[in-house]
Amino acid sequence: MAILPRRLADDVMDSAKRVAGRIAIAALVCFGALGVASAQQPPVHFWHPAGLPPGAIGGQQLLRGGPLPGFFQPVEITAPPGVMISLAEEGRFNDPQPAPLRAGLLVGQVYRLCAFNLPFQPGVEVFPTIEVIDRLYAPRGLETRFPVHIDIPREDLEMAAQGKFVTRVVYVENPGAALPTQGTATEQSWFDVTPGMDPLAVADTLGRPIAIVRLGGRVPDHNVGPDMSFLFGCPPVLKLPPRPAVPAPQAPPKEQAQPGNSPAEAAPTAPPAKSRSEGVPR
Amino acid sequence: MKRTIAFTGRAGNPSYGTDERLPRLWRFALVAICTLILCSCRGPEDARRIASSASPSPALPQQASTGVVPAAAWEPSTQPPAGPPGWESGVPLPYQPTGPWSPPGIARPWPQDEYLADGGDQGIPVAVTAGRQVRGLEMEDTVAHFDTRDGQTHVEPSNQVSLYSPRFRAVRQVVGASENDQRIASSGVNLPVRLAATGDAAIPGSTKQNLQTVRQIGQKSITIARSRQGDGALSSAIGPLGFQNQFKPYENVAVIRTGQFEASELAWLARGTTAAITWTSDQAVQIMLDRQTASAVVGDLKVDTLYSVDEPPAHPKLRVIKVASTPFAEVGDTVDFTIRFDNVGNQVIGNVVILDSLSTRLEFVEKSAQCSLPAAFSTPQNEGGSVVLRCEIAQPIEPGKGGILRFTCRVR
Repeated sequence: MAILPRRLADDVMDSAKRVAGRIAIAALVCFGALGVASAQQPPVHFWHPAGLPPGAIGGQQLLRGGPLPGFFQPVEITAPPGVMISLAEEGRFNDPQPAPLRAGLLVGQVYRLCAFNLPFQPGVEVFPTIEVIDRLYAPRGLETRFPVHIDIPREDLEMAAQGKFVTRVVYVENPGAALPTQGTATEQSWFDVTPGMDPLAVADTLGRPIAIVRLGGRVPDHNVGPDMSFLFGCPPVLKLPPRPAVPAPQAPPKEQAQPGNSPAEAAPTAPPAKSRSEGVPR
Repeated sequence: MKRTIAFTGRAGNPSYGTDERLPRLWRFALVAICTLILCSCRGPEDARRIASSASPSPALPQQASTGVVPAAAWEPSTQPPAGPPGWESGVPLPYQPTGPWSPPGIARPWPQDEYLADGGDQGIPVAVTAGRQVRGLEMEDTVAHFDTRDGQTHVEPSNQVSLYSPRFRAVRQVVGASENDQRIASSGVNLPVRLAATGDAAIPGSTKQNLQTVRQIGQKSITIARSRQGDGALSSAIGPLGFQNQFKPYENVAVIRTGQFEASELAWLARGTTAAITWTSDQAVQIMLDRQTASAVVGDLKVDTLYSVDEPPAHPKLRVIKVASTPFAEVGDTVDFTIRFDNVGNQVIGNVVILDSLSTRLEFVEKSAQCSLPAAFSTPQNEGGSVVLRCEIAQPIEPGKGGILRFTCRVR
């Protein structure tokens, strides 16, 4: 009589082993397929909408790997003549400087700026933010000569002062799809998208998004002063000198470049800016 | 022992403690699942490891303006990477300023968007039709086509030149404060209505209506009856009753009959499989050999001296080399391009035409093209809105001869 329950128990254990084996095989297949599916990513740069809070897209970009953490991407911030810009450092805004302002910003961090002395709007201050979400891979020695050009035009400053929220996604233009328009070093052409569209997705179709500029929205409490949450923690800034009037000596080695043949070497100053309407593809 | 009892849930029954295969299997399954989960998690990769292990990318010319990347530029350096001025003042830069790195999902070479390419024959190969029409000339292509003495037309592309010149654009979105307003419309109106007057409607108690017969409807009897009658014959088809209840001699093994293999029938089964192979081999092509051997023919005639005149084969070849004056340029800079073309073949070539379809970011400076040989220039527009510099050499080019074409472009 003792043999019967033992056989019954063996049968139960055999069936349990079969079930366990099938579960293990199913898990292998599921996780294998999941790994293959996760490896197949679409050939775009960002999958996140631009409407995320400042810092979210850059943080996600850092998680994707690559030589981005700790890199100070040189940027050049241009604004209308007369506008003073100051960057937030160590809990306060530093000494204002006239545009253009050059600085090295960390990729993935959010920097708060203060722009004032706006044309025809005395006393008005605008606090834009800059979030660098990617970097350039310039040849050695040319990092500061080719900074990311971030233009804050007068129109955007006026709209931000009126209470509107302006989002500008700066991208590196794809040369194969570039429009044959004359660009300038001081002004930047842009496309306008409707509020229902995602500017980051649009910029991704035109090139490689590299920075997000947000204007409008919050203003600090003038009685208390800007707090650290308003300044996004004041990430470190690498101060860069203004654009030199003479070519930098480290830029090209002698055997590679021919300074005499390049007018840019002799006169690196930017050409005279043309009207905005010529460069803006509408 | 405790684990087994706890797993089976039958404490006190020592007979289940002897079989430990089941918990071991569970442990193996759990280890495998956890390993897969950990392997599927992706974290940030080490930039230095990637930069040092990946192969060099040809799309990042750093020194040579001809697009050739020197090997020394990609070798891992023991020196700390150069950074922007001022970084030595204490701010560590754990990055490689340049390197063969590309984000996941993006094909190399990368980043192409920071370089202006000009030259070569990308995409569809350029061809010249019989009507002297050039097909396949895309933007950034630089080719030369020429005619040979036998009437053929050849196309030779140049090398590609890359200039570091990123250009930035922006996409702007303006959202007003009214975007967050939500207007709620009224869904209805509640208006109480009072009765102004009351009225009673009296329902009639009964109605009576006499209807007369309009017409008479009668039923008509059947006049014709049709019957369906068969021919009286009866047929029946009887199908097969079933499968023949006997196995053939070679099938009479347990693995065929019941599906269970018995070791005692291994010899029978081997013979059956051998027979199957034999029967299959019988279906192959059989080769029959007769006993006759082929006869050999041997000759003793030989040529004493052979005279021949070799004419070198026609080998028309035009070498086209393109260089730029600078490996990088900012917006608004001017760049000089030089194209060196040489007849490296062994025959005269004529109707040499050099075509350079400029990128949309390169603006051709008018009247800047010059050639060391007599040539005619024209600048028709290409598909991207830029121009195609067309240089038609007036004279044939002898073998070993060549010339230089030079022009200037402004970076847009």
